Amino acid sequence: MLNTIWISLIALGILIAVGSDVSDEVRNTYRNGIPLDAVVEVQKPPSALRRTWEGELVMAADAFALFYGVAAPPAPVRQPVSVTTAADGRSALLLQVGDGAPVAWKTMAQAAPAKGRLMAVVESVRFSADGRQAAVRLVFEPTRYVKLKAVTAAALDYAATAVTIAIGLIGIMALWLGVMKVAEAAGLLAVLMRALTPLTRRLFPDVPPDHPAVGAMIMNIAANMLGLSNAATPLGLKAMEELNKLNPKVGTATNAMVTFLAINTGGLVLIPATAIAVRAAAGSSDPGMIIGTTIIGAGCATVAGVTASRLLQRLPRYRKAMEVDRG
Amino acid sequence: MADLFRFVVNILAAIAIPLVLLLFLGWGYVRKVKVYEVFVEGAKEGFTTAVRIIPYLVAMLVAIGIFRASGALDVLTGLLAPVTSLIGMPPETLAMALMRPLSGSGSLGIMTELMKVHGPDSLIGVMASTMYGSSETTFYVLAVYFGAVGVKNTRHAVPVGLIADAAGMLAAVWIVGVLFR
Repeated sequence: MLNTIWISLIALGILIAVGSDVSDEVRNTYRNGIPLDAVVEVQKPPSALRRTWEGELVMAADAFALFYGVAAPPAPVRQPVSVTTAADGRSALLLQVGDGAPVAWKTMAQAAPAKGRLMAVVESVRFSADGRQAAVRLVFEPTRYVKLKAVTAAALDYAATAVTIAIGLIGIMALWLGVMKVAEAAGLLAVLMRALTPLTRRLFPDVPPDHPAVGAMIMNIAANMLGLSNAATPLGLKAMEELNKLNPKVGTATNAMVTFLAINTGGLVLIPATAIAVRAAAGSSDPGMIIGTTIIGAGCATVAGVTASRLLQRLPRYRKAMEVDRG
Repeated sequence: MADLFRFVVNILAAIAIPLVLLLFLGWGYVRKVKVYEVFVEGAKEGFTTAVRIIPYLVAMLVAIGIFRASGALDVLTGLLAPVTSLIGMPPETLAMALMRPLSGSGSLGIMTELMKVHGPDSLIGVMASTMYGSSETTFYVLAVYFGAVGVKNTRHAVPVGLIADAAGMLAAVWIVGVLFR
Protein backbone atom coordinates (compact mmCIF):
# COMPACT_ATOMS: atom_id res chain seq x y z
CA MET A 1 0.00 0.00 0.00
CA LEU A 2 2.89 2.36 0.74
CA ASN A 3 4.16 1.78 -2.81
CA THR A 4 0.80 2.80 -4.25
CA ILE A 5 0.46 5.90 -2.09
CA TRP A 6 4.04 6.92 -2.79
CA ILE A 7 3.73 6.75 -6.56
CA SER A 8 0.26 8.35 -6.38
CA LEU A 9 1.64 11.41 -4.59
CA ILE A 10 4.37 11.81 -7.20
CA ALA A 11 2.26 11.05 -10.28
CA LEU A 12 -0.75 13.07 -9.13
CA GLY A 13 1.52 16.00 -8.30
CA ILE A 14 3.26 16.01 -11.65
CA LEU A 15 0.12 15.44 -13.74
CA ILE A 16 -1.79 18.17 -11.93
CA ALA A 17 1.18 20.53 -12.33
CA VAL A 18 1.21 19.86 -16.09
CA GLY A 19 -2.56 20.35 -16.29
CA SER A 20 -2.41 23.59 -14.36
CA ASP A 21 0.41 24.96 -16.54
CA VAL A 22 -1.43 24.03 -19.73
CA SER A 23 -4.56 25.75 -18.45
CA ASP A 24 -2.52 28.87 -17.55
CA GLU A 25 -1.10 28.87 -21.06
CA VAL A 26 -4.50 28.54 -22.71
CA ARG A 27 -6.11 31.24 -20.58
CA ASN A 28 -2.94 33.36 -20.58
CA THR A 29 -3.32 33.81 -16.83
CA TYR A 30 -0.14 35.89 -16.60
CA ARG A 31 -0.97 38.07 -19.65
CA ASN A 32 2.21 37.13 -21.50
CA GLY A 33 2.95 39.56 -24.34
CA ILE A 34 0.14 41.98 -23.45
CA PRO A 35 1.30 45.55 -22.74
CA LEU A 36 0.49 47.00 -19.32
CA ASP A 37 0.07 50.73 -18.74
CA ALA A 38 1.18 52.10 -15.39
CA VAL A 39 2.52 55.23 -13.78
CA VAL A 40 5.94 55.39 -12.17
CA GLU A 41 6.53 58.02 -9.51
CA VAL A 42 10.10 59.02 -10.19
CA GLN A 43 12.43 59.13 -7.20
CA LYS A 44 15.86 59.15 -8.84
CA PRO A 45 15.41 60.76 -12.25
CA PRO A 46 17.59 59.94 -15.26
CA SER A 47 20.44 62.31 -16.02
CA ALA A 48 23.13 62.78 -18.61
CA LEU A 49 25.46 60.67 -16.48
CA ARG A 50 23.07 57.89 -15.45
CA ARG A 51 21.30 55.50 -17.74
CA THR A 52 19.23 54.09 -14.86
CA TRP A 53 16.36 55.81 -13.13
CA GLU A 54 14.30 54.59 -10.20
CA GLY A 55 10.87 55.07 -8.77
CA GLU A 56 7.70 53.41 -7.60
CA LEU A 57 5.28 51.80 -9.99
CA VAL A 58 1.71 52.71 -9.04
CA MET A 59 -1.44 51.06 -10.30
CA ALA A 60 -5.03 51.42 -9.08
CA ALA A 61 -6.39 48.23 -7.52
CA ASP A 62 -9.28 47.92 -9.95
CA ALA A 63 -7.05 48.54 -12.98
CA PHE A 64 -4.82 45.70 -11.79
CA ALA A 65 -7.86 43.47 -11.23
CA LEU A 66 -9.18 44.25 -14.71
CA PHE A 67 -5.85 43.54 -16.38
CA TYR A 68 -5.23 40.16 -14.75
CA GLY A 69 -8.86 39.16 -14.37
CA VAL A 70 -8.53 38.59 -10.61
CA ALA A 71 -10.15 40.00 -7.47
CA ALA A 72 -8.96 43.53 -6.72
CA PRO A 73 -6.06 43.75 -4.25
CA PRO A 74 -7.00 45.56 -0.99
CA ALA A 75 -4.88 48.65 -1.75
CA PRO A 76 -3.40 50.32 -4.83
CA VAL A 77 -0.39 48.44 -6.13
CA ARG A 78 2.95 50.10 -5.31
CA GLN A 79 6.23 48.38 -6.06
CA PRO A 80 9.76 49.75 -6.47
CA VAL A 81 11.15 49.64 -10.01
CA SER A 82 14.30 50.63 -11.79
CA VAL A 83 14.52 51.33 -15.51
CA THR A 84 17.75 50.99 -17.46
CA THR A 85 18.17 52.41 -20.93
CA ALA A 86 20.60 50.53 -23.16
CA ALA A 87 22.90 52.12 -25.74
CA ASP A 88 20.41 51.41 -28.53
CA GLY A 89 17.75 53.43 -26.72
CA ARG A 90 15.63 50.49 -25.59
CA SER A 91 14.68 50.35 -21.91
CA ALA A 92 14.25 47.43 -19.55
CA LEU A 93 12.33 47.61 -16.29
CA LEU A 94 13.10 45.65 -13.15
CA LEU A 95 10.28 45.30 -10.62
CA GLN A 96 11.05 44.28 -7.05
CA VAL A 97 8.23 42.07 -5.83
CA GLY A 98 7.87 42.80 -2.13
CA ASP A 99 5.70 41.26 0.58
CA GLY A 100 2.85 43.65 -0.20
CA ALA A 101 2.78 42.74 -3.88
CA PRO A 102 -0.38 41.26 -5.43
CA VAL A 103 -0.60 37.47 -5.53
CA ALA A 104 -0.35 37.34 -9.32
CA TRP A 105 3.00 39.10 -9.29
CA LYS A 106 4.31 37.02 -6.41
CA THR A 107 3.49 33.86 -8.33
CA MET A 108 5.16 35.26 -11.44
CA ALA A 109 8.24 36.29 -9.47
CA GLN A 110 8.57 32.79 -8.02
CA ALA A 111 8.81 31.33 -11.50
CA ALA A 112 11.06 34.15 -12.79
CA PRO A 113 14.74 33.41 -13.50
CA ALA A 114 15.76 36.10 -10.98
CA LYS A 115 13.77 35.11 -7.87
CA GLY A 116 11.70 37.93 -6.40
CA ARG A 117 12.16 40.23 -9.41
CA LEU A 118 10.17 40.68 -12.59
CA MET A 119 11.80 41.85 -15.81
CA ALA A 120 9.87 43.79 -18.43
CA VAL A 121 10.56 45.43 -21.77
CA VAL A 122 9.55 49.08 -21.74
CA GLU A 123 7.67 49.97 -24.92
CA SER A 124 7.25 53.65 -24.22
CA VAL A 125 7.97 56.20 -21.48
CA ARG A 126 6.42 59.65 -21.24
CA PHE A 127 7.67 61.93 -18.46
CA SER A 128 5.34 64.56 -17.04
CA ALA A 129 6.32 68.21 -17.39
CA ASP A 130 7.80 68.40 -13.88
CA GLY A 131 9.62 65.11 -14.35
CA ARG A 132 8.08 63.57 -11.23
CA GLN A 133 5.90 61.05 -12.99
CA ALA A 134 6.31 58.85 -15.99
CA ALA A 135 3.60 57.02 -17.90
CA VAL A 136 5.12 53.67 -18.80
CA ARG A 137 3.90 50.98 -21.15
CA LEU A 138 5.64 47.71 -20.42
CA VAL A 139 5.51 44.06 -21.35
CA PHE A 140 6.68 41.55 -18.72
CA GLU A 141 8.96 38.71 -19.70
CA PRO A 142 6.62 35.77 -20.34
CA THR A 143 5.77 33.63 -17.29
CA ARG A 144 5.42 29.93 -18.08
CA TYR A 145 5.51 26.51 -16.40
CA VAL A 146 4.88 27.99 -12.94
CA LYS A 147 3.78 24.71 -11.33
CA LEU A 148 6.34 22.53 -13.07
CA LYS A 149 9.11 24.83 -11.88
CA ALA A 150 7.64 24.75 -8.38
CA VAL A 151 7.51 20.94 -8.47
CA THR A 152 11.14 20.75 -9.59
CA ALA A 153 12.25 23.14 -6.86
CA ALA A 154 10.24 21.25 -4.24
CA ALA A 155 11.72 17.88 -5.20
CA LEU A 156 15.26 19.22 -4.82
CA ASP A 157 14.51 21.25 -1.67
CA TYR A 158 12.80 18.40 0.15
CA ALA A 159 15.60 15.99 -0.65
CA ALA A 160 17.97 18.43 1.04
CA THR A 161 15.52 18.95 3.92
CA ALA A 162 15.46 15.21 4.59
CA VAL A 163 19.20 15.23 5.17
CA THR A 164 18.98 18.34 7.37
CA ILE A 165 16.36 16.67 9.55
CA ALA A 166 18.38 13.47 9.86
CA ILE A 167 21.60 15.32 10.69
CA GLY A 168 19.72 17.38 13.27
CA LEU A 169 18.69 14.13 14.97
CA ILE A 170 22.26 12.94 15.56
CA GLY A 171 22.87 14.93 18.73
CA ILE A 172 19.62 14.30 20.60
CA MET A 173 19.63 10.72 19.36
CA ALA A 174 23.07 10.20 20.91
CA LEU A 175 21.98 11.88 24.15
CA TRP A 176 18.95 9.65 24.67
CA LEU A 177 20.64 6.46 23.56
CA GLY A 178 23.35 7.17 26.13
CA VAL A 179 20.85 7.86 28.91
CA MET A 180 18.83 4.76 28.08
CA LYS A 181 21.96 2.61 28.10
CA VAL A 182 22.78 3.79 31.61
CA ALA A 183 19.18 3.20 32.71
CA GLU A 184 19.35 -0.35 31.36
CA ALA A 185 22.63 -1.05 33.07
CA ALA A 186 21.22 0.24 36.36
CA GLY A 187 18.04 -1.80 35.98
CA LEU A 188 15.95 1.30 36.53
CA LEU A 189 13.45 0.75 33.74
CA ALA A 190 12.61 -2.70 35.10
CA VAL A 191 10.63 -1.07 37.94
CA LEU A 192 8.60 1.02 35.51
CA MET A 193 8.05 -1.92 33.19
CA ARG A 194 6.87 -4.17 35.98
CA ALA A 195 4.30 -1.59 37.07
CA LEU A 196 2.86 -1.31 33.58
CA THR A 197 3.01 -5.01 32.68
CA PRO A 198 -0.80 -5.56 32.65
CA LEU A 199 -1.14 -2.84 30.00
CA THR A 200 1.91 -3.60 27.89
CA ARG A 201 1.25 -7.34 27.79
CA ARG A 202 -2.17 -6.66 26.34
CA LEU A 203 -0.93 -4.08 23.81
CA PHE A 204 2.20 -5.96 22.75
CA PRO A 205 1.60 -9.67 23.33
CA ASP A 206 4.63 -10.63 21.22
CA VAL A 207 7.04 -8.62 23.36
CA PRO A 208 8.25 -10.02 26.69
CA PRO A 209 7.08 -7.51 29.36
CA ASP A 210 10.61 -7.12 30.72
CA HIS A 211 12.25 -6.51 27.33
CA PRO A 212 14.14 -3.18 26.95
CA ALA A 213 11.80 -2.34 24.05
CA VAL A 214 8.94 -1.96 26.53
CA GLY A 215 10.89 0.55 28.62
CA ALA A 216 11.76 2.65 25.58
CA MET A 217 8.15 2.54 24.35
CA ILE A 218 6.83 3.70 27.73
CA MET A 219 9.35 6.54 27.80
CA ASN A 220 8.45 7.52 24.23
CA ILE A 221 4.73 7.58 24.91
CA ALA A 222 5.22 9.61 28.10
CA ALA A 223 7.43 12.13 26.28
CA ASN A 224 4.87 12.39 23.47
CA MET A 225 2.03 13.06 25.89
CA LEU A 226 4.02 15.84 27.51
CA GLY A 227 4.72 17.31 24.09
CA LEU A 228 8.49 16.77 24.36
CA SER A 229 9.05 15.79 20.76
CA ASN A 230 12.82 16.29 21.03
CA ALA A 231 12.94 13.42 23.48
CA ALA A 232 10.08 11.41 22.01
CA THR A 233 11.60 10.76 18.60
CA PRO A 234 14.97 9.41 19.85
CA LEU A 235 13.18 7.25 22.43
CA GLY A 236 10.80 6.01 19.76
CA LEU A 237 13.68 5.08 17.48
CA LYS A 238 15.39 3.31 20.38
CA ALA A 239 12.15 1.36 20.92
CA MET A 240 12.03 0.44 17.24
CA GLU A 241 15.61 -0.84 17.39
CA GLU A 242 14.78 -2.95 20.43
CA LEU A 243 11.63 -4.27 18.74
CA ASN A 244 13.72 -5.12 15.71
CA LYS A 245 15.86 -7.43 17.88
CA LEU A 246 12.71 -9.53 18.31
CA ASN A 247 11.96 -9.42 14.58
CA PRO A 248 12.20 -12.85 12.94
CA LYS A 249 12.21 -11.25 9.50
CA VAL A 250 14.37 -8.13 9.46
CA GLY A 251 13.18 -5.61 6.86
CA THR A 252 9.50 -6.40 7.50
CA ALA A 253 7.37 -4.65 10.13
CA THR A 254 6.28 -6.81 13.08
CA ASN A 255 2.83 -6.60 14.70
CA ALA A 256 4.31 -4.87 17.74
CA MET A 257 6.01 -2.27 15.55
CA VAL A 258 2.75 -1.42 13.79
CA THR A 259 0.83 -1.16 17.07
CA PHE A 260 3.55 1.08 18.48
CA LEU A 261 3.43 3.24 15.37
CA ALA A 262 -0.36 3.46 15.64
CA ILE A 263 0.02 4.91 19.15
CA ASN A 264 2.59 7.37 17.82
CA THR A 265 0.61 8.52 14.78
CA GLY A 266 -2.45 8.99 16.98
CA GLY A 267 -0.40 11.79 18.51
CA LEU A 268 -2.01 11.97 21.95
CA VAL A 269 -0.72 15.13 23.62
CA LEU A 270 -2.03 16.48 26.92
CA ILE A 271 -1.46 20.08 25.84
CA PRO A 272 -1.41 20.82 22.09
CA ALA A 273 1.14 23.61 22.49
CA THR A 274 1.57 24.50 18.80
CA ALA A 275 -2.15 24.89 18.12
CA ILE A 276 -2.57 26.94 21.32
CA ALA A 277 0.31 29.23 20.35
CA VAL A 278 -1.14 29.82 16.88
CA ARG A 279 -4.58 30.52 18.38
CA ALA A 280 -3.10 33.01 20.84
CA ALA A 281 -1.17 34.73 18.05
CA ALA A 282 -4.37 34.99 16.00
CA GLY A 283 -6.03 36.84 18.91
CA SER A 284 -8.23 34.11 20.39
CA SER A 285 -10.17 35.02 23.53
CA ASP A 286 -9.49 31.53 24.94
CA PRO A 287 -6.55 29.84 23.18
CA GLY A 288 -6.62 26.82 25.52
CA MET A 289 -10.24 25.88 24.85
CA ILE A 290 -9.16 23.22 22.36
CA ILE A 291 -7.35 21.12 24.98
CA GLY A 292 -10.42 19.03 25.74
CA THR A 293 -11.53 18.60 22.14
CA THR A 294 -8.00 17.71 21.06
CA ILE A 295 -7.63 15.04 23.74
CA ILE A 296 -10.90 13.50 22.53
CA GLY A 297 -9.83 13.71 18.88
CA ALA A 298 -6.37 12.26 19.45
CA GLY A 299 -7.80 9.68 21.87
CA CYS A 300 -10.19 8.44 19.19
CA ALA A 301 -7.33 8.36 16.67
CA THR A 302 -5.16 6.30 19.04
CA VAL A 303 -7.92 3.83 19.96
CA ALA A 304 -8.91 3.44 16.30
CA GLY A 305 -5.27 2.94 15.29
CA VAL A 306 -4.53 0.33 17.94
CA THR A 307 -7.79 -1.53 17.22
CA ALA A 308 -7.12 -1.45 13.47
CA SER A 309 -3.59 -2.75 13.97
CA ARG A 310 -4.87 -5.70 16.00
CA LEU A 311 -7.56 -6.52 13.45
CA LEU A 312 -5.57 -6.02 10.25
CA GLN A 313 -2.61 -8.08 11.45
CA ARG A 314 -4.84 -11.17 11.15
CA LEU A 315 -5.55 -10.67 7.45
CA PRO A 316 -3.96 -13.46 5.40
CA ARG A 317 -1.94 -11.10 3.19
CA TYR A 318 -0.29 -9.47 6.18
CA ARG A 319 0.26 -12.79 7.95
CA LYS A 320 1.92 -14.20 4.89
CA ALA A 321 4.30 -11.24 4.73
CA MET A 322 5.55 -12.21 8.18
CA GLU A 323 6.24 -15.87 7.39
CA VAL A 324 9.92 -16.75 7.55
CA ASP A 325 11.34 -18.76 4.68
CA ARG A 326 12.80 -21.98 6.01
CA GLY A 327 14.54 -23.01 2.82
CA MET B 1 -10.23 22.80 36.44
CA ALA B 2 -8.84 23.29 32.93
CA ASP B 3 -6.39 25.85 34.25
CA LEU B 4 -5.19 23.50 36.97
CA PHE B 5 -4.72 20.78 34.37
CA ARG B 6 -2.63 23.08 32.20
CA PHE B 7 -0.63 24.21 35.19
CA VAL B 8 0.21 20.66 36.22
CA VAL B 9 1.03 19.46 32.71
CA ASN B 10 3.22 22.49 32.04
CA ILE B 11 5.20 21.86 35.22
CA LEU B 12 5.57 18.19 34.30
CA ALA B 13 6.76 19.09 30.81
CA ALA B 14 9.28 21.58 32.14
CA ILE B 15 10.72 19.28 34.78
CA ALA B 16 10.53 15.94 32.94
CA ILE B 17 13.81 15.96 31.04
CA PRO B 18 16.06 17.40 33.79
CA LEU B 19 14.45 14.99 36.25
CA VAL B 20 14.90 11.96 34.00
CA LEU B 21 18.53 12.87 33.34
CA LEU B 22 19.24 13.26 37.06
CA LEU B 23 17.29 10.18 38.09
CA PHE B 24 18.58 7.82 35.42
CA LEU B 25 22.22 8.85 35.53
CA GLY B 26 22.24 9.36 39.32
CA TRP B 27 20.61 5.99 39.97
CA GLY B 28 23.15 4.40 37.65
CA TYR B 29 25.99 5.93 39.63
CA VAL B 30 24.50 4.73 42.91
CA ARG B 31 24.19 1.24 41.45
CA LYS B 32 27.93 1.39 40.61
CA VAL B 33 27.43 1.66 36.85
CA LYS B 34 30.34 3.38 35.11
CA VAL B 35 27.95 6.06 33.99
CA TYR B 36 30.24 8.05 31.74
CA GLU B 37 31.62 5.02 29.93
CA VAL B 38 28.22 3.39 29.48
CA PHE B 39 26.68 6.67 28.31
CA VAL B 40 29.31 7.14 25.61
CA GLU B 41 28.95 3.51 24.58
CA GLY B 42 25.22 4.00 24.00
CA ALA B 43 25.50 7.47 22.47
CA LYS B 44 27.83 6.24 19.77
CA GLU B 45 24.87 4.60 18.02
CA GLY B 46 23.24 8.00 17.53
CA PHE B 47 25.10 8.77 14.36
CA THR B 48 24.39 5.50 12.56
CA THR B 49 20.71 5.59 13.46
CA ALA B 50 20.26 9.14 12.21
CA VAL B 51 22.15 8.50 8.99
CA ARG B 52 20.24 5.27 8.33
CA ILE B 53 17.00 7.27 8.16
CA ILE B 54 18.17 9.48 5.28
CA PRO B 55 17.13 7.38 2.24
CA TYR B 56 13.68 6.69 3.71
CA LEU B 57 13.15 10.33 4.56
CA VAL B 58 14.34 11.52 1.14
CA ALA B 59 11.92 9.15 -0.62
CA MET B 60 8.99 10.25 1.54
CA LEU B 61 9.65 13.99 1.65
CA VAL B 62 10.33 14.33 -2.08
CA ALA B 63 6.99 12.70 -2.92
CA ILE B 64 5.20 14.92 -0.40
CA GLY B 65 7.05 18.00 -1.67
CA ILE B 66 5.99 17.34 -5.27
CA PHE B 67 2.41 16.80 -4.18
CA ARG B 68 2.33 20.03 -2.17
CA ALA B 69 4.00 22.22 -4.78
CA SER B 70 1.72 21.07 -7.60
CA GLY B 71 -1.48 22.40 -6.09
CA ALA B 72 -2.92 18.87 -6.15
CA LEU B 73 -4.41 19.48 -2.70
CA ASP B 74 -6.76 22.15 -4.07
CA VAL B 75 -7.92 19.78 -6.80
CA LEU B 76 -8.57 16.95 -4.31
CA THR B 77 -10.34 19.32 -1.92
CA GLY B 78 -12.63 20.44 -4.74
CA LEU B 79 -13.47 16.84 -5.63
CA LEU B 80 -14.12 15.66 -2.08
CA ALA B 81 -15.89 18.72 -0.65
CA PRO B 82 -19.42 17.64 -1.71
CA VAL B 83 -18.95 14.32 0.11
CA THR B 84 -17.57 15.71 3.36
CA SER B 85 -20.08 18.55 3.63
CA LEU B 86 -22.70 15.80 4.03
CA ILE B 87 -21.25 15.00 7.48
CA GLY B 88 -21.16 18.63 8.54
CA MET B 89 -17.50 19.17 7.81
CA PRO B 90 -16.85 22.67 6.44
CA PRO B 91 -15.01 22.39 3.10
CA GLU B 92 -12.34 24.79 4.41
CA THR B 93 -11.20 22.22 6.97
CA LEU B 94 -11.02 19.42 4.39
CA ALA B 95 -7.65 20.69 3.14
CA MET B 96 -6.48 20.44 6.76
CA ALA B 97 -7.63 16.83 7.05
CA LEU B 98 -5.89 15.87 3.80
CA MET B 99 -2.64 17.69 4.61
CA ARG B 100 -2.31 16.60 8.26
CA PRO B 101 -0.92 13.08 7.65
CA LEU B 102 1.45 14.34 4.95
CA SER B 103 3.15 17.43 6.27
CA GLY B 104 3.48 19.11 9.66
CA SER B 105 4.59 22.46 8.28
CA GLY B 106 1.93 22.30 5.54
CA SER B 107 -0.91 21.67 7.98
CA LEU B 108 0.45 24.33 10.35
CA GLY B 109 0.29 26.78 7.44
CA ILE B 110 -3.30 25.80 6.65
CA MET B 111 -4.33 26.14 10.30
CA THR B 112 -2.73 29.60 10.57
CA GLU B 113 -4.37 30.71 7.33
CA LEU B 114 -7.83 29.48 8.37
CA MET B 115 -7.57 31.35 11.67
CA LYS B 116 -6.49 34.51 9.92
CA VAL B 117 -9.44 34.34 7.53
CA HIS B 118 -12.20 33.00 9.81
CA GLY B 119 -10.95 33.96 13.28
CA PRO B 120 -9.55 31.59 15.92
CA ASP B 121 -12.83 31.36 17.86
CA SER B 122 -15.05 30.62 14.86
CA LEU B 123 -16.33 27.08 14.19
CA ILE B 124 -13.73 26.66 11.44
CA GLY B 125 -10.92 28.08 13.61
CA VAL B 126 -11.66 25.79 16.55
CA MET B 127 -12.18 22.80 14.28
CA ALA B 128 -8.92 23.38 12.40
CA SER B 129 -6.89 23.72 15.60
CA THR B 130 -8.52 20.63 17.10
CA MET B 131 -7.77 18.69 13.92
CA TYR B 132 -4.18 19.82 14.00
CA GLY B 133 -3.76 18.40 17.51
CA SER B 134 -5.77 15.24 16.83
CA SER B 135 -3.19 13.47 14.73
CA GLU B 136 0.47 13.25 13.94
CA THR B 137 2.25 13.56 10.60
CA THR B 138 1.72 9.87 9.84
CA PHE B 139 3.90 9.53 6.75
CA TYR B 140 6.79 11.35 8.35
CA VAL B 141 6.62 9.18 11.48
CA LEU B 142 6.39 6.11 9.25
CA ALA B 143 9.49 7.06 7.25
CA VAL B 144 11.58 7.97 10.29
CA TYR B 145 10.60 5.08 12.56
CA PHE B 146 10.77 2.36 9.94
CA GLY B 147 13.80 3.96 8.36
CA ALA B 148 15.72 3.66 11.63
CA VAL B 149 15.40 -0.14 11.54
CA GLY B 150 15.53 -0.57 7.78
CA VAL B 151 11.96 -1.82 7.41
CA LYS B 152 10.88 -1.67 3.78
CA ASN B 153 7.81 -3.91 3.90
CA THR B 154 5.54 -1.92 6.22
CA ARG B 155 2.69 -4.49 6.09
CA HIS B 156 -0.50 -3.00 7.56
CA ALA B 157 1.18 0.12 8.98
CA VAL B 158 -0.11 2.49 6.28
CA PRO B 159 -3.78 1.46 6.46
CA VAL B 160 -3.57 1.52 10.26
CA GLY B 161 -2.06 5.01 10.21
CA LEU B 162 -4.69 6.28 7.80
CA ILE B 163 -7.53 4.74 9.82
CA ALA B 164 -6.16 6.50 12.92
CA ASP B 165 -5.95 9.79 11.01
CA ALA B 166 -9.46 9.48 9.64
CA ALA B 167 -10.79 8.64 13.12
CA GLY B 168 -8.97 11.63 14.62
CA MET B 169 -10.26 14.03 11.98
CA LEU B 170 -13.85 12.75 12.15
CA ALA B 171 -13.81 12.84 15.96
CA ALA B 172 -12.53 16.42 15.86
CA VAL B 173 -15.28 17.46 13.44
CA TRP B 174 -17.88 15.68 15.54
CA ILE B 175 -16.91 16.97 18.99
CA VAL B 176 -16.41 20.56 17.84
CA GLY B 177 -19.68 20.39 15.92
CA VAL B 178 -21.54 19.11 19.00
CA LEU B 179 -20.05 21.73 21.34
CA PHE B 180 -20.61 24.60 18.94
CA ARG B 181 -24.22 24.10 17.90
